[in-house]
Amino acid sequence: MATTEAQLMLSVGLIEKDVNGDTLWVWCYPSISPELRQLLLSKCCLTQDGRDFHTFVFGQFSRTWYYITTAEVQETTALKKVSHFSIAVTAKDFNPEKYAALSRILCRTYVKYGSPVKMMEAYVSVFTKGICQNDENGSFLIKDYDVRKAYLAGSVKDVVSQFGMETIILYTALMLKKRIVVHHPRVEALLEFTRVLPALTWHRKDWSVLHPYVHLTDAELEDLRKCPGYVAGFVDAEVSNRPDLFDVFVHLPDGVITVSQGAKEAMTMGKLHKDIAHVIVQSAQDADRSDSQVIKDISIKTKEVLTNLFALAEACEDSKLTLDALKQHRFPPATENFLFHLAAAEQLLRV
Amino acid sequence: MDADIGYKGEIGYQTFLYSNEPEIRSLLMFLVEKLPRETSEASDQPTGKSAVLHRAIAAAINAQLAVSWVPLNCILPLHCETQVQQILGSLLIEVKEYQRDILLPVTTQFPSQSSMVSSILEQHTAELSNTQERDTEWKSQGLLSRLTPQEYHSKKLTRLCKRIKEQLRSAAAPSPESVFSVSRSTSELSDLLQTFRGSGQSDFILNKGTHFTHTQKFTFTQEAAATMTSVNIGRQSGSEPQLQQQEELACLLLQFQQLCNDTDQIAADMKYMRVTTTQVFDELKQRELENAENKKKMQVKKKTIDLLPDADNNLQKLQSEVEESASRVVNLASQWEKHRAPLIEELRRLREICSSKSSTKLSEIKSLHEKIRMATEEAKKKEESYKQLVTELESLPQDVSRSAYTQRILEIVGNIKKQKEEITKILSDTKELQKEINSLTGKLDRTFAVTDELVFKDAKKDESVRKSYKYLAALHENCNQLIQTIEDSGTILREIRDLEEQIETENCNKTVANLERIQDDYKAIRQENSALAAKVREG
Repeated sequence: MATTEAQLMLSVGLIEKDVNGDTLWVWCYPSISPELRQLLLSKCCLTQDGRDFHTFVFGQFSRTWYYITTAEVQETTALKKVSHFSIAVTAKDFNPEKYAALSRILCRTYVKYGSPVKMMEAYVSVFTKGICQNDENGSFLIKDYDVRKAYLAGSVKDVVSQFGMETIILYTALMLKKRIVVHHPRVEALLEFTRVLPALTWHRKDWSVLHPYVHLTDAELEDLRKCPGYVAGFVDAEVSNRPDLFDVFVHLPDGVITVSQGAKEAMTMGKLHKDIAHVIVQSAQDADRSDSQVIKDISIKTKEVLTNLFALAEACEDSKLTLDALKQHRFPPATENFLFHLAAAEQLLRV
Repeated sequence: MDADIGYKGEIGYQTFLYSNEPEIRSLLMFLVEKLPRETSEASDQPTGKSAVLHRAIAAAINAQLAVSWVPLNCILPLHCETQVQQILGSLLIEVKEYQRDILLPVTTQFPSQSSMVSSILEQHTAELSNTQERDTEWKSQGLLSRLTPQEYHSKKLTRLCKRIKEQLRSAAAPSPESVFSVSRSTSELSDLLQTFRGSGQSDFILNKGTHFTHTQKFTFTQEAAATMTSVNIGRQSGSEPQLQQQEELACLLLQFQQLCNDTDQIAADMKYMRVTTTQVFDELKQRELENAENKKKMQVKKKTIDLLPDADNNLQKLQSEVEESASRVVNLASQWEKHRAPLIEELRRLREICSSKSSTKLSEIKSLHEKIRMATEEAKKKEESYKQLVTELESLPQDVSRSAYTQRILEIVGNIKKQKEEITKILSDTKELQKEINSLTGKLDRTFAVTDELVFKDAKKDESVRKSYKYLAALHENCNQLIQTIEDSGTILREIRDLEEQIETENCNKTVANLERIQDDYKAIRQENSALAAKVREG
């Protein structure tokens, strides 16, 4: 329904950088809490010493997704004294393409009219009707941007081609709801890589574990700690010295995956993992299969494993698994360990 | 000797025996010039630095003498503030609070007033000697061991604990010879040890308790078993010791195995618990989120159900309301914009002005700071040098009136300057005159040559002209002679002046008087020589 989808949008804010070099939060609708405002100012590339200019970044903070589009103001516009500005849209759902398109329209409206009122009209019309006019004589429809498309927009094949058989580590960590931290100095590469990782556990379709753009500030780390398992992306290389934050650390530029000491025991891998790794790599290397087909293949394999697990659980009383029941089947120790932790992740263990 | 030093002048015995003023003066001046360079440097340093040091020492001693003597223990916090602060700072907050709020003042803590002073003094001396002992130990052994104080103390603590344990063990284990005398003490010791543990049965101890107390008690029980068994040995006084030992060993091994199994079990339990805890937290979180979502959904659905009976109408109304509120919101936004835009403009404008002003002001302030800093440094240096020079001045002897000398010197310098000026003037005049003379002589020669030729030409023809030519030649000759004589007289005058000067200097030498004296002395010496020769001949 268009209305419930539109209700996912929370607010829109405007950040401007003027010719004096000050970056100010100048306008927002309906309202944004000071904490979130502070966060958005810090995420906006205009406050970061102006070294890199990121057109579009997105991230998550306390279950709110934010999408920041930044644009430079050309000379001949109604906006004098403004050199750059950013539009920050907050919403409850993960859909970067949708909000990128919407932000673009809002940006152009703002630049054209020089006043946020017109921008707000467009936003309100999207909010109430799910549709607004864009300046290319077309219209922006929310329903053009299905959430599944957003989920499938990333490229699993790139991930597999970069890490090969080691992708199974990421797969295991995601399945067991562990904490993965990815580092890359460029935020665009970080966003592109991390957004595709939750697709490896397609059966959950849970992108709320994704925190693609995190800084090492207390508020954000506190928020991160509230989630038991997450995929967090950091531009700051210092994060590698924080073993308390991750179970798996991915250094993206070098293509190195490290498992932290505390998690090694839970992440031991055996024959089952090798099988799954084979499936993943084979499917990804096949040039005829598209990204979504690869994800489908992986999810089929995952389903196999899960059906087995459910069967095991059914055999026990009140369909909850115990370690003893698992031990009775005499799996090899790595597989047994994996199934045990997977049962915990899928909430199948008897408490 | 003086030639070695470098005096350029005649010196002989006569300079000292039969002195005349100019020579002596030049000699003395030469020596004086030589002297100060060697002795003045050495004399400056002592007067400057040592005097200052001595004065500082004297001042410090005076200050200490002014303060009345107080025994070491009673030195007020004013004198050793830092020490007391350190000691206070190392106490815990709770202890401090206790001391501040609850603890009675020292004077009221005693049952009888008479014991107060002695008790306080004793405690203080005990604490003092304690800390002093610790200090000496630390300085002698602690520093040698090259550990930090905490490490050293912890090492010492462990060492002492080991020794105590060993002592206890050795005291509990009896020696075979003196069984009877030792067994009394061992039984007392074992009783004491048992009261610590609170029960007699060693098995009972082992099966109870959690894993952690097991590890603690394990060491105790090992020791207890050792003591128990050793005491048993002592009591039974050596009957079949080997069998007993083997039994003990088997028993202990069993216990050990059991404990290992327990540990493993507990570890496995912990692991399971951990994993299930994460699962439960996860579930809890999920359920909470679902709850919140469902609540919201329920609210919306409730409202829709309320509006459902009159669906179309309500739908229309809702749509119109939505449009109305949208337009209202846009209206409000535009009104707000009217307020907001000028404010932002104002802010930006002021910031611009501020930054342009502030940047120039900042640079000005920075340069001013630099200047201030440099000026203060210079002032400090100058004050220091001023102080030094003042002390030096005070230390110099005051009997010489330098001002009179400086006045005279300045006068002489002025005079010399004037004389120099006059001399330069005269020299320039002389040069001018000389130039004139040269030009005139040149002119004269040329004119004479011309007239000579002219007249000589006509002289061959005319008689009168020949006569005038002869007169001309004679005139020229006479004038030349005149000039020559004038020049000669000038040179002679100069010679006269030189000779007069020489006469003056020679007169000062008092040569005549010296000569007379020398002659007299020579005569006297000859007489003496002859007298001595006569004496020698006689004797």
